[in-house]
This record gives sequence, structure tokens and C-alpha cells, in this order.
Amino acid sequence: MEEEKRIGVYVCWCGTNIAKMVDVVDVAKEIGKLPNVVIAKDYKYMCSDPGQEFIIKDIKEHNLDRIVVAACSPRMHELTFRKALQNAGLNPYMFEMANIREQVSWVHTDRGEATRKAKSLVAAAVNRIAWHESLDKRTVDINPATMIVGGGIAGISAALEIGNSGKKVFLIEKEYKLGGHLAGVDLTYPYMYSADQILKPLIKQIANHPNIEVFLNTQIDEVFGYVGNFETKITPAGAKEAELKFGNVIVATGLKPYDPGGIENYGYGKLPNVITSIEFEQMLKKGKIVTKEGVEPKNVAIIHCVGSRNKYYHEYCSRICCMTALKFSNQLRSALPDTSIFECYADIRSFGKGCEQFYTQTSGKDVMFLMFDQKNDLPRIRKAKPKDGCDMLIEFNELLSGEDIEVPADMVVLMVALEAQENARDMAHAVGVSMCGNEFYIERHPKLDPVATTTDGVYIVGGCQSPKDIPDSIAQARAAAARILATINIGQVEVEVTTAVVNEDICCGCQTCVNVCPYTAISFDKEKGVSVVNEILCKGCGTCGSTCPTGAIRSRHFTDKQILSQIEGLMSTSIELQEV
Amino acid sequence: MSYEPTIVAFLCNWCSYTGADLAGTSRMKYASNVRIIRVMCSGRVDPTFVLSAFKEGADGVLICGCHPGDCHYHEGNYKCLRRYHLLQKYIQQMGLDKDRLRLEWISASEGRQFAELMDSYTETVRNLGPCKMKQVIETLT
Repeated sequence: MEEEKRIGVYVCWCGTNIAKMVDVVDVAKEIGKLPNVVIAKDYKYMCSDPGQEFIIKDIKEHNLDRIVVAACSPRMHELTFRKALQNAGLNPYMFEMANIREQVSWVHTDRGEATRKAKSLVAAAVNRIAWHESLDKRTVDINPATMIVGGGIAGISAALEIGNSGKKVFLIEKEYKLGGHLAGVDLTYPYMYSADQILKPLIKQIANHPNIEVFLNTQIDEVFGYVGNFETKITPAGAKEAELKFGNVIVATGLKPYDPGGIENYGYGKLPNVITSIEFEQMLKKGKIVTKEGVEPKNVAIIHCVGSRNKYYHEYCSRICCMTALKFSNQLRSALPDTSIFECYADIRSFGKGCEQFYTQTSGKDVMFLMFDQKNDLPRIRKAKPKDGCDMLIEFNELLSGEDIEVPADMVVLMVALEAQENARDMAHAVGVSMCGNEFYIERHPKLDPVATTTDGVYIVGGCQSPKDIPDSIAQARAAAARILATINIGQVEVEVTTAVVNEDICCGCQTCVNVCPYTAISFDKEKGVSVVNEILCKGCGTCGSTCPTGAIRSRHFTDKQILSQIEGLMSTSIELQEV
Repeated sequence: MSYEPTIVAFLCNWCSYTGADLAGTSRMKYASNVRIIRVMCSGRVDPTFVLSAFKEGADGVLICGCHPGDCHYHEGNYKCLRRYHLLQKYIQQMGLDKDRLRLEWISASEGRQFAELMDSYTETVRNLGPCKMKQVIETLT
């Protein structure tokens, strides 16, 4: 059955990214000798327009029917090249990528070794592609409704963006009211706008919005379906169960403040006048800054990086605390002109528009900045004696002067870190997004695709992705809204066709596949005595394929034949090259 | 030339392959003995893939999937785990050391762990010496 295959192989330099560590010319030359390879070339940037044109031209001129590109990760440019194939009139699945950048040139240091490895990966791709088959793209209609989980500033912004364009939004909030953390904020840095003035008009717009349906006191347990056609069941408090259907999901579940009780040095929970930044914000909002004893504090110390940038707590920077601390100093200075203010910091991070100016402006307001070394011992807070004339003393080695100092304080504000929500993992499972080590959600690509996720139709915005301030949250929310509106506008979306398929002639009806499928996509046809795959429900994980005892199930685009040939190609060159 | 092992690694697309890419974008350096094959889920790793890798001359086979509870397809990694224990018994009956097959969990953010695993597993397999399966099969057939 060996019909002639006409394979074109393209080895990318990626500028110097690959060419520096891999002899791309040699790879192309050696691979060109393999059976079925009609041409093998190297080129500076395969993903560039001229690079793609190059492939398209060759396909037409040399009548190529399969293309292998050895370049970056397929996670980066597989779709780019599939489109190029389509433009040349080839089926997009007649394409395979060999990852010789992320998994070769960037991680190895010996040019000879790296070149050998690249050759074996490309040979494997050539072997695999000989068994590729054309697959027809399937398109499904997009339900124009969107579900947004989380009614903080990010969720609200996304809801309005989509709702105002005339599309339906279901806005789900677990609390009894909208607003999230911003509802608890008094003024916002660096321009001192009132949070209420930002938030309240938006909430009012939502309340009267014809396209936005709000569900308060509601949690999402599970979401079924796929891009364009999701559904979930919700049970709002005091209401009966409702079923929602929608085409896209925005996760805007936010984050939560860190509980500083675990940091012994700060005595939170034991010393009554040690409070968190969240608690201090509430005082500001009420307009009354007083100690537990009910008096105005004469000395206020603000401690930065509480639970942030520290290997024992969270290693990341929580991004908003430095500027919030400066905002506290500003508000304190206006409210209590005679109070001494101490900012005990590890580093001041004042990136962002207007923030460096805000820092300069605050340091001119009789605020004392004292630096501590976070890598060694954290400042220690202790109860003062009556003769000290204050409630507490904070001891630490001041880094810039090198002196051991004691800072008097009647109130200590801990700038607590921001961390992932308690139920971040449950939510991740419900909608199918991945989490990084600290349980924030992972975007599809850290630079090129910051609001989409690896699950089509599911977007992440705001604090659930990483700590961020109001403008960043809003920017992400509106970006996700724009992405969703674009897909709704097209009305249809292409879905993966790499699903499983049963060969009824071989299926013995053992139903093992029915039991292993996580999506209940396989059912048993009693009349025929064979298993049947529902292609809409199948997500193409391939578990059934590796379980089927007769080989009746084929995982499209990851067939046994394709992977076994890939292994063969990988090893044939590895062995050969080792013996040379 | 001294013996350098060849290791075939099956990585799931969502966690481990992404983790391997992250090691690359972070420019972490590791042993070049590993050849990666991408599958959508560790649950797709058919026992025949593993045996075929040995048959073709691999000295070690590595399977990497998402951490338990994090599988993109809910539970494919558990299916893989069950199969792994059976496969380990099977390869030992074939006369292979159990360390020639390894299952590890690598998440999308664990580039560092991936690079370290490549180094440590290469060392493990290097110490085991060449796997003779390919020659044995060739002699027998």
C-alpha cells in the first residue's frame, strides 16, 4: 500500500536562536537523504511571511503533499504553518513540527550533540508524517451568551463591554453583592480617585442592564461542553436550580489577602494594634483612624512585603502593596498632620504610570522611609514599656545606615501579600484551566496570548491570573471581552477534529473504552455490539486508544502507526549516529 | 566513544510538554540524551509505545504527565499510573531493570524540575549501562 509520499522539510534558523547551537544546514542536508523527502531546506525565519511563502511556493512547484518544519515548539507556531498549508491547498493536518528550539538549541551546550539530537527529532517527524491523513475541520455554531465568574472590577468591566455590544452575559458572584475587593477600598493610587466613584456607577449600569443577568450568592461547581457550547447548572441562594448555556467563559475570580498570623515576628493576632492593610483600608473608608484603645495613633509604622518576596511565604511580588502603602502615608498625613509615619520597606517598587512621581511626592510629605533586609531577619514587633512612650517597638537593622534601630509605633499596618483564592483548584477543574505553582491560573502564552487559556473559549482576567492593580485588571477584562466578541461576530468556531473513532469491523464489544472515557463520549451500540464515539463530546485525549485491546479505536492524528513510526525514526538516527 | 544512553520521553501536551518548553524559554541547560514525543495526554501512552521504544534501542523510557488532580482530561494520568505499575512488572519479567521505565509528574510551570529530571534520569540510565533489548531481539529473529 506504500504509495509515493512527497515530503518537504524546512529547518529554521530562528535568526541565531537555533542556528547558533544547531548546524541547520547539515540537518537539512542529512534529512534530505531520507526516503520520501523531496526537498529539505534551511531558512532564516520560517514563520515570517517570506518563510511561509517559501513553503507555499514549493508545495505548488514540487507537488509536495506533506510538510515538516523543524523550528520552535508546535505550541508556538503549529497553527501558523497549518494555515500556510491550507493557503497552498493542502490539508492542514499534513503537517508536523520538530521542536529544535525550546527542546534543543535553548537547552543544550554542545553543538555536535544538539545537531545530532535535532536530526533525530526531524527524522522522527519525517517518519511520522508519512502516516498522516487528511482531517476535515469541523465548525460549530457559537452560542452568543457569555458566562463571567466573579463580580469584581474585572468581571464587571468584561460584563459591561460584552453587554453594551448587545450580547447576553451571565455574571456569577459568590458574595451577596458585586464589587469584589474594590468595594472595600477608600481612595485609589496614584491619583486618589475614590473607589466608590469608580465602582458604584458601573454596578448601577449592570443592575439596569437589559443584557446582563446577575446571579449573587452563587457558585459554579462544574462546566460541561466545549467552546461555543458550554453549559452549567447553578443554584442561587433562595432560588431554584437554573441551567445556563453559553459559548464562552471568563474567569474573573480574583484573589485573597494573605493571613499574616503565620509570621511570628509581627505578632498579628496577639498585639491588638498590629492590623492588616485590608483592615486599615476599612478604617480609612469609615474616616476614623484610631487604635484599639480608641485614640488617634501618634506613631504609625507600615511594614511592606508581608508574605511577599520571601522564600518562606510567597516568592512573588504582590505588585500593588508598595503603592497602596504610599497611599496610606498620604491619607495618614492629611488626616493626622502631627503623627509620625514610618514606611519599613524591603524595596520600593513604583512601576506603572504616575507611580514613581507618587513615590517622590510622598517622600516629600515628612514620611520616614526605613529599609530592612528581607533575606535575613524580618523586623520584630514587641510590646513597649510605659517609659518608651508608645504602644510597640519595631526592632530591625536599618540597611542604608547599617544601624540597629527601634521604631516606635502605636499602630502597625502589615502590607499583606495577595494569594490565590481558597477554591482556585476547584474552579480550575470546573472550567479546565491550568494553575502555576502558586495556584494562579496560567495564560495560553505569557507574552503573546495573555488572557486566553489552553482550553478554547475559556479566558482568565484580573487577580486570578496574578496580583494586579485596577487598570491592569480592566485592560485584561476588556481584552478578553474583545476576543469573545470577535468569535461571536464570526458566529462559528473551528473545533479540534483529533477525536477518537471506532473501527466497527474490529471492535469486539468489550466496552473497556466506555469505562475509561472521562467525558462519557463513548457509548455501546447494543444492536451492532460495538462502541460508538460521540465526536462532539470527545476531546481527543486518546486514553481509549491506548486501552482498546483489539486496536479498533484510532486516536486521530495520534494513531498507533504515527507514534510508532515516530519512535522508529527517532531511534534509527540515534543509533546510527552513535555508532559513527 | 563512551556509552551515552538514549532516552525516549513521552510528554503530555498540557503540563509536561509545556514544562519542557518553559525550561527552553528560561534557557535552562540539561543533558541532551532525551528525545521527546508529544502526546495529548499521558493516558494516550500505549504499552506498545514503551515496548517499541525498547525494541528500537532506547536505554530508558520516561513518561511525564500532569500532577495527580491536574490532568487536562481529568483522569488520564491516573490511567497512565495504573498501566505504569503493570508495565514495570512486565519489563522486569523481560529482564530489564525497573529503572529503565520511569513515570514522573511535571506541571506546566516546572521547567526547573523538568531540566533537573532530565539530568538525574540520564545519570540513572547511564549507570544501568546499555539496554541490550534491540540486539537480543535481532539475535532471536
